[in-house]
Amino acid sequence: MTSAHKHFLIGPISAAAEGALYQQIVDRIKREIAEGRLSPGTALPSFRQLAEVLLVSVITVKRAYEELEREGIIFRRQGLGTFVAERGHDRSRETKLAAARNLLREGFREAAEAGLPPHELAELAREILKEKK
Amino acid sequence: MNPNAIEIRGLVKRYSAFTLGPVDLTVPRGAIYGLIGPNGAGKTTAIDMIFGLGRNDAGTIRVLGFDHRADEVALKRQAAYVNPDLNLQIWSRVGKAIRFVRGFFPGWDDAYCTELMHAFHLEAQDRIATLSFGAKTKLSLLLALSRRPDLLILDEPTTGLDAVSKQQVFSELLKAVANGERTVLISSHSLTDIERFADHIGLIKNGSMLLEGRTDEIVDRFRVAEFFTRNGAALPGPVPAGLTILKWDENRWQALLDQHSDAPAWLETQDAQNLTLTRLTLEDLFVALVKEKEPAA
Repeated sequence: MTSAHKHFLIGPISAAAEGALYQQIVDRIKREIAEGRLSPGTALPSFRQLAEVLLVSVITVKRAYEELEREGIIFRRQGLGTFVAERGHDRSRETKLAAARNLLREGFREAAEAGLPPHELAELAREILKEKK
Repeated sequence: MNPNAIEIRGLVKRYSAFTLGPVDLTVPRGAIYGLIGPNGAGKTTAIDMIFGLGRNDAGTIRVLGFDHRADEVALKRQAAYVNPDLNLQIWSRVGKAIRFVRGFFPGWDDAYCTELMHAFHLEAQDRIATLSFGAKTKLSLLLALSRRPDLLILDEPTTGLDAVSKQQVFSELLKAVANGERTVLISSHSLTDIERFADHIGLIKNGSMLLEGRTDEIVDRFRVAEFFTRNGAALPGPVPAGLTILKWDENRWQALLDQHSDAPAWLETQDAQNLTLTRLTLEDLFVALVKEKEPAA
């Protein structure tokens, strides 16, 4: 007999991964939405249910949902539950882009501090892009 | 309905060698609350007082809206205390223990009990004497959870449990609070687990409540600050409350920084160079706070 049954799945969260657990939940849900696995109007589990699935405190999931709600990615309807917002996909993408912009800015700053001139910086970026492929 | 499952105000309990309190403690309904603190800080004393074991010298304790002494019977019907010292062997077999305990509690949930037996891999015919330590712990937890108590108090529930058992226990505790009405209070030294599973924490040290609140807010509030001072080793002036020097080397300093204190502003006035702030785990924070202000060796 197996106790495994179908769960609401998002990318794994772990204390060993980067960022606080609630932030990881925010990021994973954004990714689900940005990659189209969660479409607008989809109901999300209650935060108590998701806490059970992810094995984290209720307050961790609550905080993640509050953050996603503040960014307009999900919305709550009293008594009905929590849903992916109509514009959740765009918003997720926007937030991801903003995060990428910040990370790039930070990377470029580090490279500048290491003495890399601007034209070599562009070269570095191209190299990294090639690695990805 | 009272939003708090436990409200302790000004609790004092005096022993010849140790005084607990005055302590305030607030456990919101629907929460998993982690009571943490070094050995001998007063955690078990506080729990004993909540459960009416021993008489407090001052203060009030309200549990599920009941006064802990005047309404002791009602309280004990709705609250369960899982004690590590509980002797289960007198019932010889798991099934017998279950049949015995269920008779006392009208709210006993047979279906849930069966579900827990599966989850904890316990069988009715298992001999209690030959159960592993972990299985005995799970049996005490099963006997408490099956009563469907509104408040479950656990003293060191995961001591000596392997990682799999520990996760089973926390999984069941999360299910137990899933309806938002039931409350769990855990005293524990497993701070990694508490950080992950507890919504609220209270940190007791030397009989006093040092910190209490939402786990994430408390962990978020502190940082390890590293900075360099310009001239020599001396930190100018007295260090404010909220900044505890942990380590230093020449003009390089590492300190625990309480971001809700005046310390961040003070640091700015001290011309601290290359200031970096690093997050801590609850365990790191615990060590830094508990070591703090202990007399120097």
